Amino acid sequence: MLALIYFIILGVIAVGSALCVLLSKHPLYGALSLVVSMLSLAGIYGLLGSPFIGVVQIMVYAGAIIMLLTFVIMVLNAGRDSKTPRFDKVSLFVIPAAIVLAGLVGFVMVRSGIAFDATTLRGSVKLTSETLFNTAQEGPGYFVLFEVIGLLLLSSMGAAVLMAKKRLGTDNEEEK
Amino acid sequence: MDIIESKSWVEWLITIAKFAFCFVPVLYILLLIPMERRGAGFMQDRQGPNRSYIKIPYFGKIRLLGYVQNMCDGAKLFFKEMFAPKGVSKFLYYVAPAIPFAIIFISPCVIPWFGPMVFEWGGKAVTISGAILDSEVGILLLFGFSSLSAYGAVLAGWASKSKYSYLGSLRTTAMTVSYEVCQGISMMGLLVLAGSFSLTDIVSWQEQHVWGIVAQPVAFFCFLIATIAETGRAPFDVAEGDPELVAGFHTEYGAMHFGMFYMGEYAHICIASFLVATLFLGGYSVPFVTTETMQAHMGGSLAILCGVLAFLFLAFLHMMHRYSKKLLASKQSNKMVILQEYKLYKIVGWLAVAVFVAAGVCSWMFYNPVQTVVDGVLTNTLGAALGTALIHLLVLVVKSVFFCWVWIWVRWTLPRFRYDHIMNLGWKIILNIALVNLVVTAVVAKLLGGN
Repeated sequence: MLALIYFIILGVIAVGSALCVLLSKHPLYGALSLVVSMLSLAGIYGLLGSPFIGVVQIMVYAGAIIMLLTFVIMVLNAGRDSKTPRFDKVSLFVIPAAIVLAGLVGFVMVRSGIAFDATTLRGSVKLTSETLFNTAQEGPGYFVLFEVIGLLLLSSMGAAVLMAKKRLGTDNEEEK
Repeated sequence: MDIIESKSWVEWLITIAKFAFCFVPVLYILLLIPMERRGAGFMQDRQGPNRSYIKIPYFGKIRLLGYVQNMCDGAKLFFKEMFAPKGVSKFLYYVAPAIPFAIIFISPCVIPWFGPMVFEWGGKAVTISGAILDSEVGILLLFGFSSLSAYGAVLAGWASKSKYSYLGSLRTTAMTVSYEVCQGISMMGLLVLAGSFSLTDIVSWQEQHVWGIVAQPVAFFCFLIATIAETGRAPFDVAEGDPELVAGFHTEYGAMHFGMFYMGEYAHICIASFLVATLFLGGYSVPFVTTETMQAHMGGSLAILCGVLAFLFLAFLHMMHRYSKKLLASKQSNKMVILQEYKLYKIVGWLAVAVFVAAGVCSWMFYNPVQTVVDGVLTNTLGAALGTALIHLLVLVVKSVFFCWVWIWVRWTLPRFRYDHIMNLGWKIILNIALVNLVVTAVVAKLLGGN
């Protein structure tokens, strides 16, 4: 019962701030609403019995990625941002897509009655690590995917550094 | 109500009383501000601000060793008019100082303040963990909150619409993000050894084996440097470097808005020093003594604690005595006033010594709680469990105050780094050392047959 009350509060905050992301005029306010949305999502993960995922959500998304996003928003086209129209041609595609997605998710959720039980632990640290790094022959083999994603991220980082380096070669003063 | 009946009233009382630990960082602000001011004075061979006084009728003036000055400054900040410069974006300007200040109240909830209390109540063995929230992801939660508190500086800089604030907040963003990486990775070696994210488990691992600083000396220094950078203090205070940026991200703030940033900074130091003490200095564990030994001889342990406190007061009295002697020989015009004040401190000091000696002797002679085995667990009485918790808490406080002093020490000793030097140090030196340390630790732990 108590968990359900928490869930409703967090859910309302999450959905409300997600709407704010769409409706806010300045991108920085959008990014901040995204942070609030992610924090309440982290709370919902915690309620669902996976505190590890929730904390990683706070640390990685809210703490680091959106922080970099605000950095980019603040540095790039600061003057133009306050004059961005709320709707433009791209919205014609985005809004129907969002509505269709929401409809699909809602349909699925209504059809499959979700049992909300806060007491079961679905994503504890132990469970996550055991599932992820199960190197047994008959195991799920997620660790291979994990390594591949690591390689992918490393190569993309290398590419980004190379691209930035080429541009910096001419002008060493600009370190952004 | 199942939830209420699941615990006895004593358990509920202690569980709720533990929430008082949320206010520890705020109390530390009261400790840290005078410590910083007088500490700076000590470093620079001057007295520091100690001239304000309270006049007590028929007695004289008391200055509380410079503490009255801080009360005056606090009162001034509190009663100043709050204003916003023209052109700021109002909402974010007012919200920004509250973010770091709000986070200092939720950060302490995962730190274990004392070892798990095991006591016998109503024929059952009761266990209460030392942290407000004994989460298995404790340390990660702490890092998450710490990274969120940087939003305060970032938004303040952006909302102020001033070039200086803006540059300061850009620097804060970059520095926080880069040093967070160093901080996280340098701590990972210890987590590998302890095999858990829970701070309680990390401390109990250190209690059973060795302190983190012995097991991971390299990681300790990397972590300390990264944490100092994370709190944004000198020598890493480019975000508010006064020769370049006036006051960085809080240039446009005044009154209590500024005060909140100020308090947030000090509370951040408090939490960081608790974190360093917990991770690398054994947290609440008493050096060379296991908790079991301490609980078996509870009366003696409390007597030793009282003895240490009495000794500290004797040292204080000795300091007062030396000051008075020096003052009497000097030609200072207000020396009689100051001597009158010192007389008060001497009375308080002797009273405290007498009380602690009496309490120590009493606990040694008469306090001898028995340990019983309930449900196959060795348990103590409630009094002995509370005594253990008190000793643990005081030990943790001593360790963290030492690290608070390290923060002040570093700030007034080292010159400020240039911005690009800080970035180089973070990404090219500390991160690599921490990575190598992590790999070596993991390999050695695997070879020696750890978890």
